[in-house]
Amino acid sequence: MSDQQNAPNLDRGILIFSIWAVFGFLGLGVVLEGFKRDLWAVSAIGIGGIVLAFVAHIIVNGIFDTGFTKGETALGIGAYGLLGLVFIVAAADGGMSKADYYSGLTFFGTLAVGFLAYLSTRHGLRGAFSRFHHKAGDQKAGDGQAVAR
Amino acid sequence: MTWLLLYLLFYTAVVLYWARLAAKANGDFETYFSAGHQIAPWVSALVVAGASVSGWLVLGDAGRMASQGFGWPGQLQAGIALALPGVFFFKRFWLIAQRLRLSSQGEVLRAYYQSEFLVVFSTLVAVLFAVGFAGMQLGALSRLLANLSDGMISVSVAATVLSLVLFGYVALGGMRAIGYLGAVQTVLLGAVIVGFAGFAIMSLGGFGTLNQSLQKLAADPANAGLFNVAGVIQFTAGIGREAAVGHEGTALASLGLAMALMGFQASPLAAKIILSTRSPRGIAAGQTWVMAGAFGGLLALFVTALGASALIDPGLAISSLLASLSPWFSAWLFIGLLAGVQLVAGLGLLTAGEALVRHIYKPWFHSGLSRKATVTVTRVVVGLLVLTSVLMQVLTPVTLSVLGGLALPLAFQLWTPLLGITWARWITRPAAITGVGFGIAGVLLTEPFGQAVLSFFGLDLPWGRWPWTLNSSIWGMVPNLAVVLLISLFTQRLRPTEEALDVQQLMHVTLRTSARAAALKTTAWSVVLAWLFLAVGPGLIFGNAAFEGAEGAWLVGLPSLWAWGLLFWALGLGMVWFLSYKMEMASPLHIDIPTFEPPRRLRRDQSAAEQMRLRALLITVGVVFALAVITALTFGQ
Repeated sequence: MSDQQNAPNLDRGILIFSIWAVFGFLGLGVVLEGFKRDLWAVSAIGIGGIVLAFVAHIIVNGIFDTGFTKGETALGIGAYGLLGLVFIVAAADGGMSKADYYSGLTFFGTLAVGFLAYLSTRHGLRGAFSRFHHKAGDQKAGDGQAVAR
Repeated sequence: MTWLLLYLLFYTAVVLYWARLAAKANGDFETYFSAGHQIAPWVSALVVAGASVSGWLVLGDAGRMASQGFGWPGQLQAGIALALPGVFFFKRFWLIAQRLRLSSQGEVLRAYYQSEFLVVFSTLVAVLFAVGFAGMQLGALSRLLANLSDGMISVSVAATVLSLVLFGYVALGGMRAIGYLGAVQTVLLGAVIVGFAGFAIMSLGGFGTLNQSLQKLAADPANAGLFNVAGVIQFTAGIGREAAVGHEGTALASLGLAMALMGFQASPLAAKIILSTRSPRGIAAGQTWVMAGAFGGLLALFVTALGASALIDPGLAISSLLASLSPWFSAWLFIGLLAGVQLVAGLGLLTAGEALVRHIYKPWFHSGLSRKATVTVTRVVVGLLVLTSVLMQVLTPVTLSVLGGLALPLAFQLWTPLLGITWARWITRPAAITGVGFGIAGVLLTEPFGQAVLSFFGLDLPWGRWPWTLNSSIWGMVPNLAVVLLISLFTQRLRPTEEALDVQQLMHVTLRTSARAAALKTTAWSVVLAWLFLAVGPGLIFGNAAFEGAEGAWLVGLPSLWAWGLLFWALGLGMVWFLSYKMEMASPLHIDIPTFEPPRRLRRDQSAAEQMRLRALLITVGVVFALAVITALTFGQ
């Protein structure tokens, strides 16, 4: 691939890494600080930082006229699932304080609502549903990839 | 500790990810040295700023503020001082390199001046940055990492691991990896500067509390030196020989510091980034808004606040602050500092490796070296430089800092040959070469390295480091400039080389400044000289009391010198904008630069001459070593 073809993807990559290195990690730190100090408000600020990183990520995607890459989607869903599991196990264990519990709910609730809002604004309500729901006839012969309507 | 290790692992993964991407785009070796001249202008702007600031200004400026207060207000103008050389040189240097199809400072110096001395000097500066300057910072970070791990990781293990990561991405991805990763590292560095200052100020109880505490400190007459410049100049014998009255921070000491900072963007490291860039369109914006604006502001406000907090409470110095914060925050801040340091270290290693192999070894001793073999040898040289740096960090940290201290003032001596190429065509070849020679002597004679070498041979100089409170960059530049002026005066009849004539034609005919910019020339000179005088020169003395009312009350709630520094940072930003855009020194240019066609020269087989040179080099090294030993044994102490 030539340099010129590579450039937009690389430029996008640099921006995405920069955004998450700053807002993502700082936000994560503040969320953890909230858990440590048992303060919902502090965790909420951290969640705000992570949401800000998502918003900036989506803006960059918009500028480069693209969506999340497969790797980003896998990483995002994987991290969400893993953290969700940890939260559920911790909540079930019963050792969580009230502030921690509400912080966790705010975190996962915000991300879930944000994810749905993203899908519906990017693909429309029906399109967002079709991202998950595929009829058998949508299967392309040979390549095995689903075609979203 | 766990968080720190996790963040380090994550950082390493990111670094290697970008190195792999870069290596793929390079085709392994094809565009290893200059990224195919395809680095985007905005990436280049970020990398230049990040490398200029690196971790050094954060660690160094905050540390100096914590121990010596506001006595060195020149450091508040670091962003402007760092930006100025880029405004002067980058655009023209890029165009010249494009015209001559060259990709590094050494090559341009060789083409224009036909001087091997200047090529070797440029290479030496690159090596000093790679091993000394960056090694000093990496060493500091290794000690910090060892501290943070409560001794679980030793300094030597920390230095080795950090250097292995560095070597990995430089050797794999070359300039492209440094460019891509450098942009991310710069953003992260900027963020952690804000983070450090934010945590320090929060620990103190807010910005108001910081200034109230400073006011209490200033109320004690014993602390007056922390809030004042110690006169315009003091004629002392230098650090280590005679202490200055009050402290070493005179107004001209600040000027010297600013001049040393001006060395970075005149160095081969900055040239390497610029010459790997796709176009010069981002130079003006980069120098104005990223370097002077964003990073200048961060240095003048946030790093100063960080240092001032540590002045109030030594527990807020960087190392103590990191140890006292929650582990996820200290890990993030540490990684940000590491990113800044590795940016300049990686760039230095690549530039030094390339200079040693492509500009010295290949043309002198092995012209038949293939492109692929050149890259391979460069990787080996980069590895050796990393190894040297690690060994010095662990075994001889003092020598390393002595060497590191030479990098900036020596790089500043490159101003005269660069001015000759880009602006002042009356600077002749012998003048530039001799001037740099005198500049080197001036720097070495006023720095501990040169003094230690002379002492080794039995010659003790009657002065110490930085006599008259003047930085070695000034002691080098004064004779450098004087000699350049004098010799140029007498050698105007010498005919420049074909390449030099072509460059002069390009600079002074094709790139002639517009009538509008020419009309503003006097204004520009006045603005620059006034800014230099008041912001970093003798005029700093006015800053001692400019923002103080009756009975020493602070008029704007800040120490007078801090307010003075912030005012002149803002005015300096305006000056950089004016020079870049209105004077068209760095403004975007939309003309095609055709390639220079050099006169055809017959290529002869060089192998016999190369063998001879190698033999001569070995004999010379042997003889010089023997003479050095004899002299040291006879006269040394």
